[in-house]
Amino acid sequence: MSNRGWLRTLLLFILVFAVQTTVAEWLEILGVGPDFVVVFIVSVALRYGAAAGCLWGFLAGFTQDVYAPVEWLGANSIAMTIVGFAVGQLEERFLTLNLPAKIGVLGLAFFVNDMFYFLITGLEKDVVTNLFVTKTVPESIYTMVLGGILFYLSSGKKSDV
Amino acid sequence: MLRAFRFIVDLFTQRHGVVAFAFFLVLGILMHSASTAVRESIIESALSTVFYPVQLLASSVNNFKSLQAENEHLKEENARLRQETYHASEGLQELARLHTLVRFDDKWDFPIVTSRVVGHNPGRFLTTLVINRGTRHGVKDNMPVFSMKGLVGKISKAMLTHSRVQLLVDPNLKLSVLERRTRVVGFLESMDGRLLSAMIPSHAGVAAGDTLITSGLGGIFPKGIPVGTVRAVRKADLDVMSLMDVEPFQEFSTLEEVFVMQKDPDWIIQELLDE
Repeated sequence: MSNRGWLRTLLLFILVFAVQTTVAEWLEILGVGPDFVVVFIVSVALRYGAAAGCLWGFLAGFTQDVYAPVEWLGANSIAMTIVGFAVGQLEERFLTLNLPAKIGVLGLAFFVNDMFYFLITGLEKDVVTNLFVTKTVPESIYTMVLGGILFYLSSGKKSDV
Repeated sequence: MLRAFRFIVDLFTQRHGVVAFAFFLVLGILMHSASTAVRESIIESALSTVFYPVQLLASSVNNFKSLQAENEHLKEENARLRQETYHASEGLQELARLHTLVRFDDKWDFPIVTSRVVGHNPGRFLTTLVINRGTRHGVKDNMPVFSMKGLVGKISKAMLTHSRVQLLVDPNLKLSVLERRTRVVGFLESMDGRLLSAMIPSHAGVAAGDTLITSGLGGIFPKGIPVGTVRAVRKADLDVMSLMDVEPFQEFSTLEEVFVMQKDPDWIIQELLDE
């Protein structure tokens, strides 16, 4: 990643969190909203590889951890580091992914992130089941739809930075 | 400097990012397994040095914009009011509004600190708020936080200029509540960081639509702060208890201003907290 790439990703990082705390709430439908942070990590990992995916995944997770219950510190950081690494590995193994594959990877990343997060926080089994049905599944679909649109729009602008 | 940075980047990108992955994973695990004091210290440092200044800046921009709009609105209102002759009725209206604002103060006889919400979780689970009042303004750990509509949570960590508010939906916050009609006591918690549920003895006959208030038994919250209404009653694992879904009076994601009640925990609770 070049210096310009670092700066661009940092600005995108700030923008994503600004969007997540404002726009994501307005886009909520029946309490179901998109997760732009996962879209950001998947995008970075797909574009810059596993190492960048880990770094930005960790930073994004830590940012969320700061505002989470103290007892859960590290849960988001670990989950998002794993997601960043796994998606980066996919990109490196399969070279370039087409749009449907990217959307599939985004959905998978969403599930992996939530599963690791629930596992680390140590929530009870029935609570996790309830959250999975009411939160993870609908929000992953919503995020895949919005993420797909963003991937499509950004695919034309992709350049070597 | 740049060479050192490049060296670190090269090191981390070796073996398809495995080194970076191992490093960040270990860092995350270390944070998660650290003691509560260390975790508090990590959060406090990150919040004070990076996140609070950024959020305060963003919040100030929003505030400035809303102040501009408010200013315009007030100018118009001022012009209109000048033309009005019924100053007495205006004064009465203002008195009524101010009385509503300070009714909590009257009722509980504790000083109130008004504060602005400057940040909250950037994730999907809203469990924490950051407010722009800290120890410098008389805010301390474990002071109750409420809004005009009802209870919001408590101060989990007061820093010099700002504080973290633990919301009712934080799974680590358990609260003793009282049902207003039947006067039966139960406890309220959130098991998933999203929805509130209360455990109340079944024999009391608490039904959907009933109101929950703080019982005052926990030693942190005074008695009588509105908490929420019972939305549905479900069967709990124990026959003697009913599990209830609770709708809080205050929607947490839309909070802009909150009030901190300058009430220290009862002495016995304070001793337990200190331990």
